[in-house]
Amino acid sequence: MIAQTILHYFIQMTSCMVAVIAFSAIFHAPKKEYLYCGISGTIGWMVYWVLRDVGFSNLVINFTATVVLTLFSWHMSMHRRMPVSVYLIPGIFPLVPGSGIYYTAYYFFMGFRGMATAKFVSTMEAAGAITVGIMLGSYLIRFNLHMGNRPGKQKINT
Amino acid sequence: MYFPKYTLVPETDNIFSEATGDIMYNPINWFPKFSLSSEDKEVIPEAPPHPEHVGVMRLSALMGALLLKNGGEIYRVQDTLNRVIDACGFPNHSVYVLSNGVFITINEGEPNACSSVRHVPLGAVNLNRIAQINQVSRDLCEGRIDRDTAYATLLEYEKPYPVNPYKMILASGFAAAGFGILFGGSLLDATFGFVNGMLLQLVLDILSIQHVTKFPSFIISSLFVTLLSGLVLMVDLPFSFNQVVIASIFPLVPGYSLTASIRELFNGDYLSGMIHLLDALVTAFSIAVGVGMGIRLIQMMGGGMLL
Repeated sequence: MIAQTILHYFIQMTSCMVAVIAFSAIFHAPKKEYLYCGISGTIGWMVYWVLRDVGFSNLVINFTATVVLTLFSWHMSMHRRMPVSVYLIPGIFPLVPGSGIYYTAYYFFMGFRGMATAKFVSTMEAAGAITVGIMLGSYLIRFNLHMGNRPGKQKINT
Repeated sequence: MYFPKYTLVPETDNIFSEATGDIMYNPINWFPKFSLSSEDKEVIPEAPPHPEHVGVMRLSALMGALLLKNGGEIYRVQDTLNRVIDACGFPNHSVYVLSNGVFITINEGEPNACSSVRHVPLGAVNLNRIAQINQVSRDLCEGRIDRDTAYATLLEYEKPYPVNPYKMILASGFAAAGFGILFGGSLLDATFGFVNGMLLQLVLDILSIQHVTKFPSFIISSLFVTLLSGLVLMVDLPFSFNQVVIASIFPLVPGYSLTASIRELFNGDYLSGMIHLLDALVTAFSIAVGVGMGIRLIQMMGGGMLL
């Protein structure tokens, strides 16, 4: 049972890593940053996965996962002297409701309007939660930076 | 040696023929007469080739356009341009950025005022270029390189990015396979998704060589991929049609536009947010149309038995 769970998590992590690195290649990220893009995406997805197993609602899961992902991306961007988008844009893709878009279209074309509307609403919900998460994470980091930017220190240009 | 400054001035008394431009219809002009006049013409001093403010404006306009074209966010472009123009010593400036264009004015209300408008079509995201341009702006602000070097570097970055198509095809396949597993598919589904993802990128490449615009090419490629996924219904293996299609269309999903749009809306850049939101919605709609057409066609072929 436990071994099965661990294997399951391992498969999830590996496939997430592969997928996010593939997306960073599609978006032409710098080659040195592929691994860190993969790590940031995997962290976001693992938070998502664990919270979903615990049983939180869709909104809470997406929001928390995005905040963690954003904080990690800003951290990496300051350490590696790269724009934060390099880690954020590929890393956000596992959380983006791609299956929601598909199921909306699928139910709509199969004639199940109610199901299509429900899927559409949950898709927009997830998108909104992701956005608010990115914003909150960025504000947390900026607040921290402003506290650290006293006159003697060098300004950090992200 | 003395050469008097003679200038050749055509003598035309008929001002109307000049005004209408039909010089050759007037017989006077068939044999043009020239007179030698020794008047000294007023010599207009030639402007220096690159006045400072014009150079700074061209540099910043190019930088903003490149950042936007490669998928930089609005606040990043605005912040970068403000920093660069400040660092070049022009505190009197104003920068307005949309997701489709850059507007810059320097020295408003002064004799050497200048401004620039750039149209930037929505393009593909290129994170490497964003990082490189960021590095240029950082170096410029901290005084490590001068403006001419920065301008030359930016002109270098304006050229098309070298892309290896095989790498893109492989990456698309891996992205499809990985997301197939993440969204609950089995390894079998992911394998089929890998093949589908590669074929999807191949079709997109072929369509882009034929100069098909974005939305028709998305419809065609998602229709193609859905029809290919219909093959799994004909073999006796534990495939899941929905999972295969989700995996295959994932490289097309407008994840960047969707998140960028809502972020810009929350930042207060309503116009840019709406532009990106419309882009995301129309992209999602075209994917949906392709998938829906594919499902209908499969239903017709299978007589409604398969789905």
